[in-house]
Amino acid sequence: MEQNRVVITGLGTVNSIARSAPEFFRALQAGRCGIGPVTVFDTSDHRTHTGGEVARFAAREMIPRRFSLKRMSRADGMAMAAAIEALSDADLFEVPDRLRSEMGVVIGGGAGGMLECEAVYRDYLLGVGRGSAYSRFASFCCASSADRIASRLGLMGPKTTFMTACSSGAMAIGYARDLIQMNMAPVVVCGGTEPLCRLTYAAFNALQAVDPEHCKPFDKNRQGLSLGEGAGVLILEALSHARQRGARIYGEVLGYGVSCDAHHMTAPDPEGGGAALAMRRALDDAGVSPEAVDYINAHGTATPANDSMETRGIKAVFGRRAYRIPVSSTKSMIGHTLGAAGAIEGVASVLAIQHRFIPPTIHHRTPDPQCDLDFVTEGARPADLNIVLSNSFAFGGNNTAVVFGKFTDSGGPHA
Amino acid sequence: MHRRIVVTGVGLVTPLGVGKDAFMRQLLDGVSGIQPITLFDTARFDAKLGAQVHGFTPQDFIRPGTLRRMDRLSKLATAAARMAVDDAGFQIGPHNRDRVGIVLGTCFGATDVASQFGKVLFTDSPRRANPILVPNTVMNAPAGHAAIELGVRGVNSTVNHREVSAEAALAFAAAEIARGRADLVLTGGGDIISEFCFNVLTRFRTLSPQDGGAEGIRPFDARRNGTVVGEGAGIVCLESLDSAEARGAIPYCEIVGWGLSAAPAGLNDWPADPSGPSLAMTRALAAAAVEPGGIDYVCAAANGGLRPDQLEAEALAGVFADSGRRPLVGSLKGALGEGFSSGGIRAAAMAISLRNQALPPTLGLFQPLAPLNFIVRAESRVSIRYGLVNGMSSGGTFAAVVMKRIE
Repeated sequence: MEQNRVVITGLGTVNSIARSAPEFFRALQAGRCGIGPVTVFDTSDHRTHTGGEVARFAAREMIPRRFSLKRMSRADGMAMAAAIEALSDADLFEVPDRLRSEMGVVIGGGAGGMLECEAVYRDYLLGVGRGSAYSRFASFCCASSADRIASRLGLMGPKTTFMTACSSGAMAIGYARDLIQMNMAPVVVCGGTEPLCRLTYAAFNALQAVDPEHCKPFDKNRQGLSLGEGAGVLILEALSHARQRGARIYGEVLGYGVSCDAHHMTAPDPEGGGAALAMRRALDDAGVSPEAVDYINAHGTATPANDSMETRGIKAVFGRRAYRIPVSSTKSMIGHTLGAAGAIEGVASVLAIQHRFIPPTIHHRTPDPQCDLDFVTEGARPADLNIVLSNSFAFGGNNTAVVFGKFTDSGGPHA
Repeated sequence: MHRRIVVTGVGLVTPLGVGKDAFMRQLLDGVSGIQPITLFDTARFDAKLGAQVHGFTPQDFIRPGTLRRMDRLSKLATAAARMAVDDAGFQIGPHNRDRVGIVLGTCFGATDVASQFGKVLFTDSPRRANPILVPNTVMNAPAGHAAIELGVRGVNSTVNHREVSAEAALAFAAAEIARGRADLVLTGGGDIISEFCFNVLTRFRTLSPQDGGAEGIRPFDARRNGTVVGEGAGIVCLESLDSAEARGAIPYCEIVGWGLSAAPAGLNDWPADPSGPSLAMTRALAAAAVEPGGIDYVCAAANGGLRPDQLEAEALAGVFADSGRRPLVGSLKGALGEGFSSGGIRAAAMAISLRNQALPPTLGLFQPLAPLNFIVRAESRVSIRYGLVNGMSSGGTFAAVVMKRIE
């Protein structure tokens, strides 16, 4: 139905291999690795020392002068930079007055202002802190990213922040589409943001889930994930609204699905049942048959449990055709950006459709019999993509899958 | 395409008691849950009061295997979820568990666990950080634990948007049912009082007493001097009308519309004018197809804060100005404190009020700051058809939910 279609009219990202969406496209195509030494805090006491850091991130370079950076956390700065890029890309940075009262913001969060606040907490514990440093806690909540974006731009539509750990960014995209389809907003700024911080870094290390070198998704010798950071933002818009203002359309959000393993807090259901349920729901919601999927942007964290589980889940949904669908993990290049992952991977999926290519899985050397799909390990591959499925699975057994499509005037046939 | 949504169960773990009967009896009797905080030593803080949960025995609601993995917040939320399902009389089984979801709101999450985890990191070594604590440091742990305990594989999500977390969660949950993606969603929210959080909140000068006067929570009162913290979990069981009718359940009320809005504000601050909360209410009324004059009762967000109570009073005065008939307005926070994700408890209270036709008092309100139709004493002889639950958060985020009596 024409009135229900939701399209993507702007993209923005900051991550360890790119400071903008066009740069991200080139880096994905080149298969660049952004995983290196972490410098944003001292890792010498930690078990591992690498991550996908946004090196020398300076919010001031990416955010116009008229926007105050006072007490702005790293997470908020990256979200704001990505939002400004996406809005400018959509030609909506100067929001028209009429739109301002209706435009929404939905962000997926992770550690929020933790990087700054954990330093205050450390000083407090060690008895060296100054009381005034508590002002950093103004940015503690994940909600401060959405609050800053909406307030700076004067937006008065729906505003919500999801915190479902590693699937937050995907949830935000899905709900943004819902809000547009329910006529609660014609345009929604959606995405996710995540900073590297000591707490998260220590937590994944305590779980022994981190590869000390760099992650190797779907490789037989994979030892865990690499933590990353960054932000991804997409401008979602009702097709009728985009057409009316003559906006450039990058692609379409066709549907999404959410499920829960109800199995274990940190370990996924080994059979991939919850993951398969989310993928099936997303395809149903999109009205797309499994036959039509051209590429899967995997969750692909490179933990032993995730990658074999995800492979099983994909086989459960796609049957024998699973072996013929290219599947890749962009986390092999930027690490696992947790709350931002679903959003950055959403940006990657749309870039793949737009530029007709499949991003590779880098660092893959040794095939694993448990992970025997086409992981695009030889480098980026040219491909005309109509339908892309993007997976995000999280702590607590939260599974979210989003279906992106190439934009066609007729809206089909996707089946 | 849009299915009707009803509330078929409620679950409550609150400072006024555990379970709907104890909670509602105390609420209507005008009992306050606010007492000196005993969870930790408050000697070094100006504020001493809080509304703590007492007399809660998690073993009564949660199996030992899941219970031993849970933090305190997860216990509150999971017990409330179990109570809500049981109250609804809904049997979860292999045939329906994929269509049952959990969507919770939390403002701070398990700050007790996070600060405990961080303490080892900063006073000892990151290498000695305790892996057992890790899962519960994540905000979506309560929803994950509840799903494991109840064995449900439907939509599972957590909203983390300051004081409006639970209302925003409810809006998302309602959409999932309206769109046919789930038949039943347990939604609402929970937060706990922790020393870590309390320490931070006292630095932000939002807690009573801000003026050196007597400590206490006085919603909508001219002499209010800040809020008092609260805790607890409140869950409502949202179900499609079709599902409820098919199994012969008698709902508490119907969710007929909701509205979400934002307004520019400084970080952790409030907007300069009431257009944000007004928009949320007018959007909710439009979605519910109800004129302002049709609303009988507003369960307000007012928490005794200087700016938010003024803002909400202005918004209410504006939205209902020309309606001819002005709704009764009350705040439960005089009894419950500011529970941060209190929207779940307040939605549950509204559901019970719509069924029982009795309204709780606003404790702490003596000198109204505005000429609204405030409920100061409990009202047991009222006719309430439409109720509105307001949610407001600093940073400029607003939600309103319209609920309707079953006729």
